[in-house]
Amino acid sequence: MLTYRERTKKMMEVKLRHTMEKKAQQGYMDADDYGCIPLPKDYHFDIIPNEGYDFFFGPMGCARNLAKMLDEIPVYVDPMEIMCGRWSDMMSKYRYIGGGKKTGGKSTISILYPYDDLVEDQIKYGLNPGIGAENHCACDYNIGIELGFGGLLEKIRRYRDINPNRKEFYDAEELVVLSIQKFIQRHIDKIEELLKTEERPEIRETLQEMLECNRNIKTEPPKTFLEACQFIAWINTVSRTYDRDGAGCSLDVILYPFYVDDVKKGILDDEKATFILADLLLIETHYYQLSGPDSCDRDLTNKVSYLVLDAAHWLNTSANITIRLHDNIDPKFLRKAVEYLFTDRNAWPRFSGDKGLMGYTKNKHITKKIARDRIAVGCHWMAVPGKEYSLNDCVKINVAKVFDIAFHEMMDDKSQEPSMDRLLAIMQKHLTKAVETIAKGLNHHMTYQQYVNPEIVMNLMMHNSIETGLDITACAEIQGMCVDGVGLGLIADSLAAIEQRVINEKKLTWEELDELLKSDFEGVQGERMRLMLKSSERYCQGNSLGDKWAAYISKMFADTVKAQPMPGIRELVPGWFSWSNTIAFGKEVGATPDGRKAGTPVTHGANPNPGFRADGAATAMATGIARIQTGYGNTCPLQLEMDPKLGVQEGGIDKFIQLLKTHVDMGGTLVNVNILDHDKLMEAHKDPSTHPELVVRVTGFTAYFATLSPEFRQLVVDRFVDGF
Amino acid sequence: MILQKGTSVQGMISNLQHCSVHDGPGIRTTVFLKGCNMRCKWCHNPETISFQQETLLYPDKCIGCGMCAEGCYSGARVLCGKRMTPAEVFEDIKLDQPYYGDDGGVTISGGEPLCQPDFTGALLDMCKENGINTAIETNMSIPHDVAFPVLKKCDFIMCDLKIMDDEKHIKYTERSNQQILENISRLPELGIPFLVRTPVIPSVNDTEEEIMAIGRFVSKLKGLVYYELLPYHPMGLSKGKTEGGFQCERFEKPTREHMLQLAQCLKTLPCDIRVAGEQV
Repeated sequence: MLTYRERTKKMMEVKLRHTMEKKAQQGYMDADDYGCIPLPKDYHFDIIPNEGYDFFFGPMGCARNLAKMLDEIPVYVDPMEIMCGRWSDMMSKYRYIGGGKKTGGKSTISILYPYDDLVEDQIKYGLNPGIGAENHCACDYNIGIELGFGGLLEKIRRYRDINPNRKEFYDAEELVVLSIQKFIQRHIDKIEELLKTEERPEIRETLQEMLECNRNIKTEPPKTFLEACQFIAWINTVSRTYDRDGAGCSLDVILYPFYVDDVKKGILDDEKATFILADLLLIETHYYQLSGPDSCDRDLTNKVSYLVLDAAHWLNTSANITIRLHDNIDPKFLRKAVEYLFTDRNAWPRFSGDKGLMGYTKNKHITKKIARDRIAVGCHWMAVPGKEYSLNDCVKINVAKVFDIAFHEMMDDKSQEPSMDRLLAIMQKHLTKAVETIAKGLNHHMTYQQYVNPEIVMNLMMHNSIETGLDITACAEIQGMCVDGVGLGLIADSLAAIEQRVINEKKLTWEELDELLKSDFEGVQGERMRLMLKSSERYCQGNSLGDKWAAYISKMFADTVKAQPMPGIRELVPGWFSWSNTIAFGKEVGATPDGRKAGTPVTHGANPNPGFRADGAATAMATGIARIQTGYGNTCPLQLEMDPKLGVQEGGIDKFIQLLKTHVDMGGTLVNVNILDHDKLMEAHKDPSTHPELVVRVTGFTAYFATLSPEFRQLVVDRFVDGF
Repeated sequence: MILQKGTSVQGMISNLQHCSVHDGPGIRTTVFLKGCNMRCKWCHNPETISFQQETLLYPDKCIGCGMCAEGCYSGARVLCGKRMTPAEVFEDIKLDQPYYGDDGGVTISGGEPLCQPDFTGALLDMCKENGINTAIETNMSIPHDVAFPVLKKCDFIMCDLKIMDDEKHIKYTERSNQQILENISRLPELGIPFLVRTPVIPSVNDTEEEIMAIGRFVSKLKGLVYYELLPYHPMGLSKGKTEGGFQCERFEKPTREHMLQLAQCLKTLPCDIRVAGEQV
């Protein structure tokens, strides 16, 4: 008879097989591994276009296609598990007409609602404008859990009667729920079929539970721990299918009442709860927050918080779990979390910093309670579940490119002498223009997205959406729109190199520097000069010129973003994050005074240039990044890859906790961390097949190292620091 | 060579290492002083032997620009050694102060920090005045009247006892161990916790007899926190060479099994035993 733990291992074997099959199907993935299963070879999806078009859009256009996809993707029931369902295809793939070829990569929104007047500056400043971007907000799962699919259906129909002029919206939402119920029914049928032949008693028992659970939650609100988890799993599966949404919830807080009830009734023990949670984490890699303080600063850690960690440990693979570190956190829980980080070495959990995140209260109308309710649900981002629409992580300014433009504009204008003041003034001018362009683009998105790709799945669990008949883009109570800067380390080190080598030491003139950059440091002398610039005082060395300029540029960026007027309750919120796009952003930027060659990657997020310090890199980086936080509650993460060279027995955990706590106390907002064995990483970099199980946190997300392209693997290797 | 008290308040520093976890409890900043009075054949910090500033050579990094005299930026020629005042060093120490927590702090190492007693004492005073925990790593070969006034400013003392046989000690370190033995035996007078370490060097001191002799000597000392065996590591050989500078020799690396076997013998003694930080 198989124990729950043994079954989890078998589930993981299947998961690893799926990952390798997906890699064979898709090649290098360079993205989160997700929980999806490989598509059957004979699978093919044809969209239902809107009448008169060859693509789909709008509430009903999207709902019809979602319903069709949920009808056509495979059913997934593994008898080893206690819950069912997986996603395998994603509608986002079909939203760009003709796969992008017919229209030169134009998106649906750009065809229906063009913004040609913005395109020139978007290209000039290397902007990711976010127009037409999907999801990147978070549902309030409490709404769904309270009502269940039947209750949601009833709510939609009730409000359709109240708001008859919003009929198309409600028809679409109704179709979404009906198609989810149909998708669940297909799974129920499959479970019944499996039960006819299944003979193993322990498997029969859980298949029977799976059957009853799904029969119940198809229409009724979840009543048990298992039903609540299966409900969340269905929402996650469908939401990913619709538009790649990966925002989870405060899993421990939401599930705790179900846990207490079931334990009291004698239908749940910790082993079974851990198994159910492991299954939930396996079904989808949504981002969940654990612990954190409530609005009265009380610790929210509970028994389920511990069980989620145990569940992730049972799986021993990637998990997007973030622990909100605060002054009153249960120290045993924190220790356990760090222990798993050290022992499992799968880059979970991550840690967010309550103190820095509370900077969100500096934005309009944001109370302490709202800032606390804003939980970690994405790569580097937070959202107030059900209430906030922010497009976090979708909107980026390549500030390195802005710097590049400013430097060459100054040098090409021979009417004035080059100087640091002039360079900064020109940079400010272009940054202001870039932010203005972003703002116009976001306003365009907020006006038209509801007619193009409305959030028809997430709307079900958003406040005001069903009540008003409006897409979340049109009714969100909080609209703190994200604007991330890219290339902080590169710019800071470039300004430091100019100050040190050109202004202070006079080793180079401005003109000689310009020539060097234009020639991309050509020849041996060019290489010598490149190395000289590269060995200037760098960001994160500690009270260096690089640190000074990083703080200056971060403030310039934050001030510029905050100074941009926005309509109504909407405002812009600054952060520093590149996601994994450092390669793409770098291709647009010429050689820079920090000694970086043209076209090579820009610095990652808020991180310094690789090789910034020979020793003490972990604390130096933790201090440096804490000092450049933009201060408005969006994150500037510390991305830390390290081999601590200290095991659990040698005090490694205590020292890491000290590092974490100090960074967070200084105002650090998020720590994405990889605890890795350096030699193993290098072996896997050389030959990924030697360590197919190796998981790394590439940026906010995790992936199997073996599924990353050589360029992405190199980024992770370059960021590696020597630990303690 | 001992820089006499009062000759200078500056220290000759080879490196300031932040986030150090192998030089005492907690997260620490280690101040490596340059200059040592011993010549251990296995030295893993050979750049800290000379008291003079010197250039370390890494020929593999040379890009052949031919402009060595104007400054090297490729890393092929690296200057080692900088004269600094205690206040200048303290400015750097302060950067990591928030990470020290309850048990971390500053460790002064080397080279041999007691060869620069004036500077070391002043820096320790400055740390203490600012509430920073202090530790020292020393070879204990400095005369008692010079060493102990400095040692008593520390919260924790880490010292080496490499070989019990004096003749052998002189052969491999170019210095007698008599002063070392006297100093270590008098450490309990200070009432400061301390540990003793032995680098285990195959063919030099890696027999059970040699290690047990040291173990027996240190185990009965009051205030000993633990006795630690450190496996030889050829790190010193990978560091940059200097023209005419000290050259360390290559030894075999002891196996983990052998280290544990030696530690097993020591377990009969009345003190805690560790191998490279790990309790056995």
